[in-house]
Amino acid sequence: MLRAEPLLKMQLLMLASEAQDAALALARFGVFNPAPCALDTLTESPAVAYRDAWLEAETRLAKLLEQCGDTGPLEIPVEAEAPTLADLEELNGWLKDVWTACLACHESEAQITDEGSHLDALEETLAKLERLNVDLSHLLRADSLLGVSIGSLPVTGLKRVTEALAMTGHLVSRFDQVGEQVFAVIAGPRTRQDEVRGLLAQAGWRELPVPDELRTHPQAARAWLKQERTQLDTQSGATCQTRDGLREQFGPRLREARLRLALARPLAEASLAGMCGKGGLTALSGWIPKRQLKALRAALDTRFHGRYWLELREPTPGEVADVPSLVRYPGWLKPFVPLVKSYGVPRYGEFDPALPFALTYLLLFGAMFGDVGHGAVILLLSAALARRLGRMAWVGIAAGAASIVFGFFYGSIFGFEDIIAPLWLSPLHDPVRVLTIAVGFGVGFIVFTLLANAWNKAVAGHVGEALFDSTGLAGLVFYLGAVGVLASLTGAADVARPAALLAGLGIVVVAAFKWYEAKAGLGERILVTAIETLETAINLFSNTLSFMRVAAFSLNHVALALAVFTLANGLEAAAHGFTLVLGNIVIIVLEGGIVAIQALRLMYYEGFSRFFSGDGREFVPLRLERG
Amino acid sequence: MSAYLNTRVSLYSGRLWRDEDLDALVGVPDDALADTLVQRGLPQLLVGYDSQTARQQDTRSLEQRIIAQILDETRVLIRPLSGDGRAFLTFWTARFEISNVKTLLRSKMTGERPAAALARLTPMGTFGRLDNQDLAHAEDVGELLRRLAAGPYAGIVNHARRAFEQSHDPFSLDAALDRGYYDGLTQRAQPLEEALGAPFRSLMANLIDRINLVWLLRYRFNYRLPPAQVYYLLVGSRYSLSATRLQELAALDSLEAVLAALPAAWQARLSGVIDIPGVFTRMEHDAAEQALRVLRSSAPDMARAFAYLILRERDLRAVRAVLRGRHLGLAGADIRLALQREPVEVM
Repeated sequence: MLRAEPLLKMQLLMLASEAQDAALALARFGVFNPAPCALDTLTESPAVAYRDAWLEAETRLAKLLEQCGDTGPLEIPVEAEAPTLADLEELNGWLKDVWTACLACHESEAQITDEGSHLDALEETLAKLERLNVDLSHLLRADSLLGVSIGSLPVTGLKRVTEALAMTGHLVSRFDQVGEQVFAVIAGPRTRQDEVRGLLAQAGWRELPVPDELRTHPQAARAWLKQERTQLDTQSGATCQTRDGLREQFGPRLREARLRLALARPLAEASLAGMCGKGGLTALSGWIPKRQLKALRAALDTRFHGRYWLELREPTPGEVADVPSLVRYPGWLKPFVPLVKSYGVPRYGEFDPALPFALTYLLLFGAMFGDVGHGAVILLLSAALARRLGRMAWVGIAAGAASIVFGFFYGSIFGFEDIIAPLWLSPLHDPVRVLTIAVGFGVGFIVFTLLANAWNKAVAGHVGEALFDSTGLAGLVFYLGAVGVLASLTGAADVARPAALLAGLGIVVVAAFKWYEAKAGLGERILVTAIETLETAINLFSNTLSFMRVAAFSLNHVALALAVFTLANGLEAAAHGFTLVLGNIVIIVLEGGIVAIQALRLMYYEGFSRFFSGDGREFVPLRLERG
Repeated sequence: MSAYLNTRVSLYSGRLWRDEDLDALVGVPDDALADTLVQRGLPQLLVGYDSQTARQQDTRSLEQRIIAQILDETRVLIRPLSGDGRAFLTFWTARFEISNVKTLLRSKMTGERPAAALARLTPMGTFGRLDNQDLAHAEDVGELLRRLAAGPYAGIVNHARRAFEQSHDPFSLDAALDRGYYDGLTQRAQPLEEALGAPFRSLMANLIDRINLVWLLRYRFNYRLPPAQVYYLLVGSRYSLSATRLQELAALDSLEAVLAALPAAWQARLSGVIDIPGVFTRMEHDAAEQALRVLRSSAPDMARAFAYLILRERDLRAVRAVLRGRHLGLAGADIRLALQREPVEVM
C-alpha cells in the first residue's frame, strides 16, 4: 500500500501463429503491462498487420454501433479463442461492406435533404419571378444567343465569381439568399459557356432546374414542384433500408463481431506497445508482479503446454524510470487515489503518498472546518448523492465525519458554541493554542516529507542527495535544530545550545553539498551555494508558517458563524430563522469549498512537492475490454 | 513580453544558415556530418546519419523531423503572444495540417490503408487540431470531407467539398484547400498589417504576390485553364498584384507576355527568368532578402518573428535538399545546383 509492487521484466517467446492466443491469455491473466520489445536479434514487427486490421475493424464497428445502438453487455466465454489475422481481415471486410452500405444511405439521405431545400428555394424563387414581368421561358431558351442559368453558390465566393465571370462577359445577378447560399442568375454569351464551366464547378455553383412552363403556365410549375416533392418523399422512405434495418438484419453478427474484436484487442494493444519477432517466432515484452510469477507460468502451461520460452529478470537501475507502478489500495483508500494521481503517478520504488494523503487531508479538513452540524450536512449530502458522485462520495462522507469529530472537539454545532461543551478546546477562546498546535503539526508534517524524500532518493540510487541535500537528512537535521532553537527562544523548551549546534551542522553539510554540486566558476559557485543554502532556510521556515492557515481557518469558521448570528439577531422571528439557515448554507458551500481546496493545496505544495516526483508510469495491464 | 520575443528572435537568428554553411554541409565528410548537425542545433535530423541514433525508434521522415523543428521554434516564439499575433502564427503552422488533410484525401482516393496514411502525416504536436486517427479511418472521400467539414477547418473544407461534389476532380479539392488556407491567412494578417505597419505588410506582400504569380503561371500555362478560372483560383490580394492586375495577367497567352506585363520593378527583378521554377526561385530569393532586412531591423517583434520563421523554413528546406542529395549519393556540384540558392544580402 505504501510502495509499488516489485515487478519483473518478462520476455515471452512463442510461435507467431499463437501470438494472439498468448496475448489473450495475458489479458485474461490481468496483470501484464506490455512494454516495447528490446531483443536485438528479433528485428521484425510481426503483429503490425493484425493491429492495423483490428484498428480498422474496431473503428468501423464503433461507427456501426453508433448507428444501430448498443448491443448490450458483452460476455466473453472462458474458452473463446482470439481470431487469426485471416479471420480478422474477413471480419474487417464484412464490416466495411455494411458500413459502406450505410454510408451510401447517408449520402443519399443528405442528397435528398439538399434536394428538398433546393425545392423550397425554387418555390420561393418562382414566387418572386412570377411577380417580375420577365418571360423566363424565353430567356432560358437553348437556342438563344444568351446563355442563362439560375442556381446557387456559397455567399463567400460571390464577389470572386462575379469578378472572374466578368472576364468572360458574363453577369451575375443575385436575387435571394437562404442561409449561406446565394441564389443568382448568371447570363453571358452562349459561345463562351465552355470557358466558365470549370470555374462554376470550382465555385460550387449548383444549377436549379427550372421547368419551361414556368412563365406561361404557373399552375404547371406548381404541379411540377409537387410531383418532385412526392418523388423525394418516396425516395427518402426507400433509400435507408440498410441503416434502418441494421439492428434487425445484422444485430447478431454485429454482436459476434464485437466479441471477436474484444478477443483480438490484447494482441493489437501489445503490438501498439511494440512487439518483435523473426520468421515464425514472436516475442511479447512487459512487466508482471513478482508474486504472480507462479500463476503466470501455470496459466501459460495450461494454454500452451510448454510451447513457449519465458525469460524473467529484475528491472535494471537504468530502466527504473520506465517501470510502471502497480500499487494495490484497500477499497476505503481508492476514492482518494485520483486526488493523488491528479498531481502525478509515483515512480516505481518511490514511496506512495496515498495513505498519508488520505489521513492528513481528512485531519486538516476536520481541523479547519470542525462543526458537528456542518459536518453532518456534508456527510448526509455525500451519502444522498453517492450514486451520482460515485467513489468521490466516500471522500465527502469521510470529510463530513472528520468535521463532526472536530466539531465535538471544538464544541461547535451549526456555529453555536454553547450547546455542547468542547471535548478539547474552543478555537475562539484559545486562539494562541490553536496556532501553536497548527505550527506543531506543520513541523511534524515537514519532518515526515523530508524523511520520505530521503527514502525516495536513496531508493532511486541518489544516496548523496538523500544524505546531504537540503531536502534530505542534512536538511532535516538543520530543520530540527532550527525548530529547537525557536522553541527555546519562545520558552517552550530548553535545548538552545544543542539545537543550535545541530542546525549549524545541518546547514554546513547542506552548503558543502551545494558547493560540490554546483559545476561552475568560483564566483558563480559561491553565489549558487549562498543563495541555495539561504533558500533552504527560508523555504522550511515559510512552509512551516504556511500551516498557520489551519488555525486561521478554524478561527475563520467561528468568526463567520458569529457574523451570521449578529445579522440574524438584528431581525424579527421569521427573518431571524431564515438568516440563520441561509448563513449556514453559505458557510457550508463557501467556506467548505475553500477549506477543501486549502487542505489540497497544503498537501500538494507543502507536502508532495517536497518528496513526490509524480513522473512515474501507471501500470496499465492488457485487458479484454477497455473501460 | 516584448523583451522576451525580441531576445528570442535575436537568439534564434543566430541559427540561420549562411550560404557558405550550406556549402560546407555539402562537402563535409560522412563521419563529421553528425557533429555538424549537432553543432547547428539540429540533432533530431541525425537519425540514420550516426551510429548512436541509428537504433533510435524515430520513424519520422526527414521532412517530418524538419517540420517538427519548425513547430518547436514556433511554439517558443508564440509563447508571449496573444490575440491577433498568436492567431496569425498559429494559423501559419496550419498549412502543415492542411497538407495532412490533402494526404488523407489522396489516401482515400487511392484506397490506401489507414495505417499507411497515418504514417505519412506530419505530427503537429500541440498545434494539431485534427483527430488524424478518426479521419484516417473514414471510409471514403465523402465521409472524410463530411468529418472535416464538422471540424476546425470547416471554413476551408466546406468550399472544397462543394467544389469536389460538383466536379469530382482531385485538382479542385487541392486548389480549393490551398486557396482557402491563404485567404484565411490574409484575413488574419489584416489587423496585424494595420498594427505593425510596413515591415509586416512587406512580408505578407512578398508571400501572397509570389503565390499568386506562380499559381497564375502554373494554372494558365501548365494546366491550360481558362483565364476566368485561373483568376478565381488565386488568393484575394490587396498587395502589389491587385485583383485588376491579376485579371489582366490571367488573360495573357504566354509566360513571356505575363512577365512583360508585370510592373517595371518586377520586370527588373525577374529579368533573365525563362520558366516558372525560375520565377519561384527568384521571387523566393527576393522574399528572403526582405525577410532578412526585417529581421535585422528594429521592426516590431512580431514582424521579426515572422521574418525569422520564413527564413528558417527556407534554410531547413535547403538542409533537407543537401541531406537527401548526400543520401542519394549525388555529386556535390549537383546538390549545389539543386539548391538553386543565391546568396541573400541586405541592400
